[in-house]
Amino acid sequence: MSAHVVYLEQLPSLFEKWKEKFKLFVPQKKGDYYLLQEYERGQEICFDYDVIYNPIKSFLFPSYETLLDFDLKTYASKPVVDAEPQILFGIHPYDIKAINQLDQLMEMGSVDVNYRARRDKTVIMGLEPLRVAKTAFWSFMDAEKVDFGFDLFWTKIGPSAFVVEVGSVLGEELLFVNGKVDVATAAEKEVARRKHQEIVKKAKMQNVLKFPNTDIPKVMAKSFNSYVWIEKSRKCLSCGSCNFICPTCYCFDIQDEVDDLLKKGKRYRTWDGCMLRSFASIAGGHNFRKQVFERYRHRYMRKGRYIYDLLGELGCVGCGRCIQSCPARIANPLEIFNFLWEDVSYEK
Amino acid sequence: MKNKFSPYVPRLATLKSKKKLSDYVTLFRFEQDNGRPLAHSPGQFIQVSIFGIGEAPFSITSPPIREHHYFEIAVRKIGSVTTALHNLKPGDKIGVRGPYGSSFPMQKFIGKDMLFIAGGLGFIPLRSVLNYMIRHRDEYGKIMLLVGTRNPKERIFIDQLEEMSKREDIKVLETVDVPDETWKGNVGVITTLLPKITIEPENTYVAMVGPPIMYKFVIAECKKMGISEDKIFVSLERRMKCGLGKCGHCQINGLSCCVDGPVFCYTDIASLEEAI
Ligand SMILES: Cc1cc2nc3c(=O)[nH]c(=O)nc-3n(C[C@H](O)[C@H](O)[C@H](O)COP(=O)(O)OP(=O)(O)OC[C@H]3O[C@@H](n4cnc5c(N)ncnc54)[C@H](O)[C@@H]3O)c2cc1C
Ligand code: SF4
Ligand code: SF4
Ligand code: FES
Repeated sequence: MSAHVVYLEQLPSLFEKWKEKFKLFVPQKKGDYYLLQEYERGQEICFDYDVIYNPIKSFLFPSYETLLDFDLKTYASKPVVDAEPQILFGIHPYDIKAINQLDQLMEMGSVDVNYRARRDKTVIMGLEPLRVAKTAFWSFMDAEKVDFGFDLFWTKIGPSAFVVEVGSVLGEELLFVNGKVDVATAAEKEVARRKHQEIVKKAKMQNVLKFPNTDIPKVMAKSFNSYVWIEKSRKCLSCGSCNFICPTCYCFDIQDEVDDLLKKGKRYRTWDGCMLRSFASIAGGHNFRKQVFERYRHRYMRKGRYIYDLLGELGCVGCGRCIQSCPARIANPLEIFNFLWEDVSYEK
Repeated sequence: MKNKFSPYVPRLATLKSKKKLSDYVTLFRFEQDNGRPLAHSPGQFIQVSIFGIGEAPFSITSPPIREHHYFEIAVRKIGSVTTALHNLKPGDKIGVRGPYGSSFPMQKFIGKDMLFIAGGLGFIPLRSVLNYMIRHRDEYGKIMLLVGTRNPKERIFIDQLEEMSKREDIKVLETVDVPDETWKGNVGVITTLLPKITIEPENTYVAMVGPPIMYKFVIAECKKMGISEDKIFVSLERRMKCGLGKCGHCQINGLSCCVDGPVFCYTDIASLEEAI
């Protein structure tokens, strides 16, 4: 699709216009972290963040969400599907890839209507990264670029100018709300392309995956009984942080809540995680992943193999969030992939 | 349109009758308020809602019979939802989602000999298959049923077992792990029953359901008897929440037990480390 040029000074008026119809979330710096938070007039936007701390999934699949309201007397129930129009501005490609993946998983088999309703009302505006998080390895996970999944994609090509690639009709409409904007020249597009190459080059200089990522599923398939699972998981606290923070993890629990008068109630879902002790345990005490190492292994198997078997792409986009969030410093997919690859190659 | 429909909204059903099967297990008969049969296949399960307490999955133990507008589940009292179910009185309501999951391949079984192996509550889902076959008895070959229970007190569907053991066309063998003074039958784990039957391995299908530890040993014995993996069908239990292949709780390696299972052909799971 087409590409345009937008100048920094045009942004506030665009944002104001968008805010009339959408909730608008933009990257902001909060202490030591970057968060995607609601835009207020005059707010500074952090174009050079390295990674947004809150996983983007929380805007589509919140950590707490009501599924049903029910009446205990009549036993009537009705679905709750809440969705407000929203714009997620400034999303890096690896996070868009994670959303694209969730889109597929939530659509497979039974459509997740709550996710779908939110997704349908969500506008994604991508942003070319200007910095790489210390723990990131997205450039090795086919996540440095996305061909779809955005309505607009922004690349900062200078102190005050952006090349904006249009990804959807709605994206174009939003770009033109204050009137048409200039079409990007070949030279401007070339600058954007070079910006992309530069950041990818930079990303490739750190946290190197030592083998082609297409081999990860094969490596994982041979590693189910590797000693690394026991070795590494010894320090695991089963806290689930690596699940909750991950943009591609989507497991959940469902529970009921009743009001004080015992008349009405609701059924809601909350994020759950396969690293938590009782995730696979059943009434009577049996736990299908009783050992820490079994749960630890399952997370990596999901990322490196099972999701690949389902979708033909890896379940990890290399954002590096889990590495940062793990209190035991053991939740590093890159380290595990490299380690297992060396192990498997050595055996040959 | 999307706002109107959610797969999480249960249909209502009304408790028609209750029957105690053992100290902790009760048989419940429900009818859907919409007047329709469940239209399930043997081996499938439903998610039962007790609003305010939660949802839990249960196998449908009644066979699918067009004229029967009721369905049955047999439930062991073990936690919050199962206790709430036990507290229901006829006329009380529950919510129902499903039927969900895979079922036993009834077409494959036509004209074949059947070996049912039920460990403990595993008899509950197998009863759906068995009772369907009994209703259409002439369509199937030999029917053999092996039942293993921990102790005589935990035996369920005792009336039906006794009735069947009187029939010429069904062979029933029972055992208990730990006998008491009342028990006159076999003693030992369920695998000790297998040498007591003779089968034609090429013509026999196996349907087995039991506690997690049962499968490995029983499958090994079946293979020793010459039954090939593709003739062995099992139903696996896992923690379940959504029943829709989304929440992740029921995963067995890369499969979701709630949609890919609970009934599996052994061939399809033999290579999965987490299955058996
Ligand atoms: C496919 C399938 C068929 C089943 N069929 C039967 C049956 O016919 N009869 C019977 O008595 N039991 C059956 N069970 C087991 C039954 O679902 C559990 O005993 C029940 O969920 C316990 O719920 P609770 O609320 O009483 O226990 P709690 O310990 O209070 O459990 C809380 C919640 O955890 C989940 N959970 C706990 N144990 C299990 C479990 N074993 N399986 C799935 N989810 C669980 C449920 O969501 C449950 O509501 C079946 C399980 C599965 C997966
Ligand atoms: S596994 Fe870790 S690095 Fe990979 S996508 Fe999830 S949080 Fe990011
Ligand atoms: S964040 Fe680290 S300690 Fe916590 S569950 Fe994950 S691997 Fe274990
Ligand atoms: S029960 Fe939720 S995925 Fe199977």
